[in-house]
Amino acid sequence: MNVITEPRSNADSVASSSVVPGDRALAAWEIVSLVSSALIGEWILAAAGGRSKLIVAIPITLAFVLIFVSQVLRGESLRDLGLRFDNFARAMKLLALPMLVVAVLALAVGLLSGARPDLFRWHPERPIAGQLALGFGWGLIQQYALQSFVNRRAQIIWQKGTRTVILTAFIFALLHFPNPWLMLATFIGGAVWAFVYQRAPNLFALALSHSVMTWVLVSTLPTSALNHLRIGFKYFA
Amino acid sequence: MDNKSRGRLVHLLISKSMAEALLIAAVSVGFYFATTNPNLHGVLDNADQSWVTGWAVDEANPSARVEVQLFVDDAFAGHMMANQFRPDVHDQKRADDNWHGFAFRTPELSPGEHQVRVYAVHSNGAGTRRTLQLIGKPYKFIIQ
Repeated sequence: MNVITEPRSNADSVASSSVVPGDRALAAWEIVSLVSSALIGEWILAAAGGRSKLIVAIPITLAFVLIFVSQVLRGESLRDLGLRFDNFARAMKLLALPMLVVAVLALAVGLLSGARPDLFRWHPERPIAGQLALGFGWGLIQQYALQSFVNRRAQIIWQKGTRTVILTAFIFALLHFPNPWLMLATFIGGAVWAFVYQRAPNLFALALSHSVMTWVLVSTLPTSALNHLRIGFKYFA
Repeated sequence: MDNKSRGRLVHLLISKSMAEALLIAAVSVGFYFATTNPNLHGVLDNADQSWVTGWAVDEANPSARVEVQLFVDDAFAGHMMANQFRPDVHDQKRADDNWHGFAFRTPELSPGEHQVRVYAVHSNGAGTRRTLQLIGKPYKFIIQ
């Protein structure tokens, strides 16, 4: 628990101390705006766009423009956001036990439901290192949006603590609707990652955890349960 | 966060919402025209234990034949091209020629009330979507 001992920038202190009510409303609006962009992409454009998925990039781009501009306007540094290496080991240490527990649970659930673990199931055409590297990149993007934006804006509303962890996890799970197993996994994962981020903000550690845990879940749980990690309208495809 | 930055952020949020609203509106209109042909018209004239008859025309392309599908009690029962002799359609200037009728032979049905629907098949330009548009109104009839 070295939050107090770590150097904190202005942006970090704003997120946890004197916040005017208007800032809370603005932070809530930012979260809603990001979530709406993701849902528009997942549910409306993925359905209406036909074979071309390029149109989904429009709300996603708008969402990332919002994230970047908001972070600049709020004076958040890369260090504030968690793009740093000094606390990587500490974040990994916090992540190790939950990752191990979830991995064992996933293996147990998979075995009990009759699924045989298969380490190459995620993308059989790619080597595991390639899968994990791609998973790391994708995980970094997701964790960047989820933690350095949603989690931090939630902290402006409610400060650090259980409520912001639950809100971040809930939003992460909501974005994986209607895939029930994935929603459960993302709620648990989202809560763990949000908890760790509030104590040791390091997006690289979270992205590594995200990649490894996705690989573990895909390798252990039945394929039918995860439905190829499909979410939104594509879940029914 | 100073007032100027707050104002900029509010402007960005409003602009983003407007851009997304316009995008959804544009996609909705595009989706409507990709899945619907407002020029498809027709009538389901009659249905009994022997035949289901009517006509269908694409008024944007009145010389073309329209594919139609028959559903009896919400179950698919057959398809055909609406290319049978119907001079009355031509007489009413709904088509360029006399060949826009359809006549399905009614499948064997149990005694009682049944409902038939005939749909025109609409395919988008790329052929990636095929949708059904109801022709006329559903028709109920009784088999003794």
